Amino acid sequence: MIFASRRALSICIAIALCVLLQAGIRSFSDYVHTLIMLAGLYVTLAVSLNLINGITGQFSIGHAAFYQVGAYTAGVLAAKVHPAVSQLIWYVPLAMILSAVAAAIAGFVVGLPSLRLKGDYLAIVTMGFGQIISIIARNQEALGKAYGISVNPKQQMIWLVWLLAVICIAVSRNLLKNVHGLTFLAVREDEVASSAMGVNVTRVKVTAFVLGSAFAGAAGALFAHGVGFVSPDAFAMDVSFIILTMVVLGGTGSITGSTIAAVLLFYIPEKMRDLTSMKVGMLLSIVIALVFVVAVVKRVLDHYHGTLLKKAGIIVGSILVGLAIISVLKKPLSSVPALGTIVEGSKMRMVVFAVTLVILMLLRPQGMFAQHEFSWRWLQSLLQRFKRKKVGVPA
Amino acid sequence: MSLLKLDCATIKFGGLVAVNSVSFALETGDLFGLIGPNGAGKTTCFNIITGIYAPTSGSIWFNGADITGTPVNKIAQLGICRTFQNIRLFKALTSLENVMVGSYLRHKSTLASALCHLPPAIRESQELREESMRLLTALELDEVADVRSADLSYGMQRRLEIARAMATQPKLLLLDEPAAGMNPQEKEQLNRMVRKIRDEHSMTVLLIEHDMRFVMSLCERILVLDHGEEIAQGPPADIKNDPKVIAAYLGEDHA
Amino acid sequence: MDPRTLPQQIVNGVLLGTIYALIALGYTMVYGVLKLINFAHGEVFMLGAYGALFTSWMLGFGPEGTRTQSSPVVLLLMLLGAMTVCGLAAVIIERFGYRPLRNSPRIASLITAIGLSLLLQYGGQIFILNGSPQTIKAEANPYRGEIPISLRAGDKVALADAEKLQPGIEIARAAFVEQLKHEKSEFDLSPKGEAIKKVRDDLEQTYTDKVNKANEKAVNVLLPKGGLLMLGATLVIMACLWFLVKHTRKGRAMRAVSHDFQASSLMGVNVDSIVTFTFILGSVLAGAGAMMYATFLPGTKIDTFFGMAPGLKAFTAAVLGGIGNIPGAVLGGLLMGVAENLVVWAGYDNYRDAIAFVILIVVLLFRPGGILGSSKVEKV
Repeated sequence: MIFASRRALSICIAIALCVLLQAGIRSFSDYVHTLIMLAGLYVTLAVSLNLINGITGQFSIGHAAFYQVGAYTAGVLAAKVHPAVSQLIWYVPLAMILSAVAAAIAGFVVGLPSLRLKGDYLAIVTMGFGQIISIIARNQEALGKAYGISVNPKQQMIWLVWLLAVICIAVSRNLLKNVHGLTFLAVREDEVASSAMGVNVTRVKVTAFVLGSAFAGAAGALFAHGVGFVSPDAFAMDVSFIILTMVVLGGTGSITGSTIAAVLLFYIPEKMRDLTSMKVGMLLSIVIALVFVVAVVKRVLDHYHGTLLKKAGIIVGSILVGLAIISVLKKPLSSVPALGTIVEGSKMRMVVFAVTLVILMLLRPQGMFAQHEFSWRWLQSLLQRFKRKKVGVPA
Repeated sequence: MSLLKLDCATIKFGGLVAVNSVSFALETGDLFGLIGPNGAGKTTCFNIITGIYAPTSGSIWFNGADITGTPVNKIAQLGICRTFQNIRLFKALTSLENVMVGSYLRHKSTLASALCHLPPAIRESQELREESMRLLTALELDEVADVRSADLSYGMQRRLEIARAMATQPKLLLLDEPAAGMNPQEKEQLNRMVRKIRDEHSMTVLLIEHDMRFVMSLCERILVLDHGEEIAQGPPADIKNDPKVIAAYLGEDHA
Repeated sequence: MDPRTLPQQIVNGVLLGTIYALIALGYTMVYGVLKLINFAHGEVFMLGAYGALFTSWMLGFGPEGTRTQSSPVVLLLMLLGAMTVCGLAAVIIERFGYRPLRNSPRIASLITAIGLSLLLQYGGQIFILNGSPQTIKAEANPYRGEIPISLRAGDKVALADAEKLQPGIEIARAAFVEQLKHEKSEFDLSPKGEAIKKVRDDLEQTYTDKVNKANEKAVNVLLPKGGLLMLGATLVIMACLWFLVKHTRKGRAMRAVSHDFQASSLMGVNVDSIVTFTFILGSVLAGAGAMMYATFLPGTKIDTFFGMAPGLKAFTAAVLGGIGNIPGAVLGGLLMGVAENLVVWAGYDNYRDAIAFVILIVVLLFRPGGILGSSKVEKV
């Protein structure tokens, strides 16, 4: 009884917060609405990919395909049903569930090859699957070919988007709190040993794919209705890579990491779109500074065994030197005529993702949070560790 | 009826006959040793029994049922569990979590209730956690319950593997070189533990070991393999004096 | 699905396949020594195409260039340009992207490879010509045109019969030209002019019909001269590679490293230099492929995403042949080229890129070792 009431309370709070969010941003522009909606969708996408990639260790790089399957399912559905039905209040949530089912079926189909493939091979197959879906969408009359199809009603259900994100996070977290979830982690760590402990590796992998893709599909449906339009370009391979970057940056396996990285990686490049354009020369000076800083930090992390404080000092120092490099080089480089071309901020979006991936792998392959989850206990142990380090420093 | 029976089990990899027509039977409660020089096919025997490899010919019977070609996880369900020669713990998981994975076979709650974090799933997880903790205590690993298994010492990792295998509550426990890399005290401790496991949990134990003194003092019956073939079988005292065994280990001159 | 066009499509497929084979060799060799799928290989190919493009510009075939006469030397210089660019790119990518991660889990290298590939694609959009698509001028290729080969001639009797109409047509044409002199304009004819025109047109139509009917069963194949050159060059390159791998010290070291990385370093092989060498070798081959692709396949547009599709197809080719296996890569490349053109032949132009993935998935599921490779059993 206590359980039921507590659970009901937390569900109510979650829904209330999501509804409040939508109400709270009512006065903002459409652009902001879209941004907040997309951020929520990316959180769902990243956390659901984390379920496949991070927790179960099945390296999938075609997550956009499930997103696309969901979005197109919603699109086709909207075109088929009677307009009167689609105006009903529960229509979009229902379409979301049906799209999730469609994407789950797709996930099942992709999960099957994962039984026989590992690592890079599986990665390529998931990417190939994504491409096949994209090519089919581009060539089918019913799917609007390269132009896409419009989706009615156009309705930005921001509360539902964020509720979906919360559900996705909650489901992942619940899984990890249970023996079931441990078997998912076990499959990631060692398939042979897992099956020797009686774990049905096949079932675990397929379950992970089905769950992960269902959430991506649901997100797709909300995207379709939120934007009112689906076209193949919205689900190109870049989208898969963006989601992948989020998971990797967050730390594979960490739900907290995926969530935070999704928001960060969505927000920063989006800001860069508005960034005033800069000359190629300026960009080049940034690149040079970045290479310098990364090289120094890499050396420090790999070879230098000083105290935490000294390490941090050197890293901060190198960043300062990097900034100095930029300020010294930007004038002369920008004045070179060949480097005078202006680059728009929007062109740098994907570059940011690419650079993030490479630098991350070089400096901290385990990602921001490694495999940790946010909890008060974890925070405490972190603080304790920091204190101990401090004590260790000779005065 | 024997608990486990290998009937002319043979496995070939390409041209190499790794295990050639090996037959033996284990009775419930046996402490059975499998020895032989390197490359004799001992671990391959384990792999055949646990279903990792299917035998090229011959059959394996467990509890009166033919389990030849049964998938690995099904065999674990039937009640055979093992440790690995080259320690295969779930490295990123803690000791406790490793053992809990072993106890997965006994869980009853559904995945759906786990995903929704419903009371049955919570209660069961709690039970399995406590049970796993008891097992860790029994194997003197309770102090490192929350340590990542990759960070444990070698001897602890070996013991944790045994704990994990025992968590499945098998009828038959296969130990692949459990004493490898241990010092004499640890071996003594292990010796005691294996006996305790057999006596208290009424498990049958089949083990591979290179340390002769360890095997001879622990096992009640021993099978000697060489080049994939059985060369002797019997109680330790007989094996010690078998000329074929001495030849296999020390060369023909000593026989 | 016209069976008469099948031979032509197969020829096109083989020519395209040689390029795929060249790229696939790079994937296979790098996988051989490092067990890493070099995701950025397609982008190296793209850089090679730019190398060839810029070389052609320097030689006077640029947007403002006026040169119209090319020579084999131009082609050779373009080839060298492409190869140099690719070789340099390979050294940089290997040294700064992959080497620091050699002891990390393989997934880390794979993610880096994906990152580098994206970086080159999108970074190129900023730094290389603003990402606008470019073409290598057709004039840069001295070997244009095609050699027609008749696989099966048309009906000779019917052809000869048609030829008998030729004198009549000539007379009608001459008469019409003569008549035009008395007309106001070609488009406003007198009745007499109309009549002559009709006779001429009817005769011409009959002739065309007869010739078409006679040629209904004829099968012709056009061999592009550039394509033949490409095929020849590829064969030479592959022969060199074969010699290098099988009969030189470096080649032996490469094979040793691919069998056992650690053991070879213990045996005194300088593993780092062999890995770099392998990267360079693979990339130089991709460079050669890129130059030929961009020069000899007319209408090729080069942009920074240029390497993606051929890269993926070549990767499929490498897997199809058995990754790590050099003859396998060549075989896989040719099969991929032909398969792709067969899809086009069957009328599914739009799905020509999908076939690569379908083949890839089927191969990985049913014969992960590829045609010439063998799959390994995991040791427990």
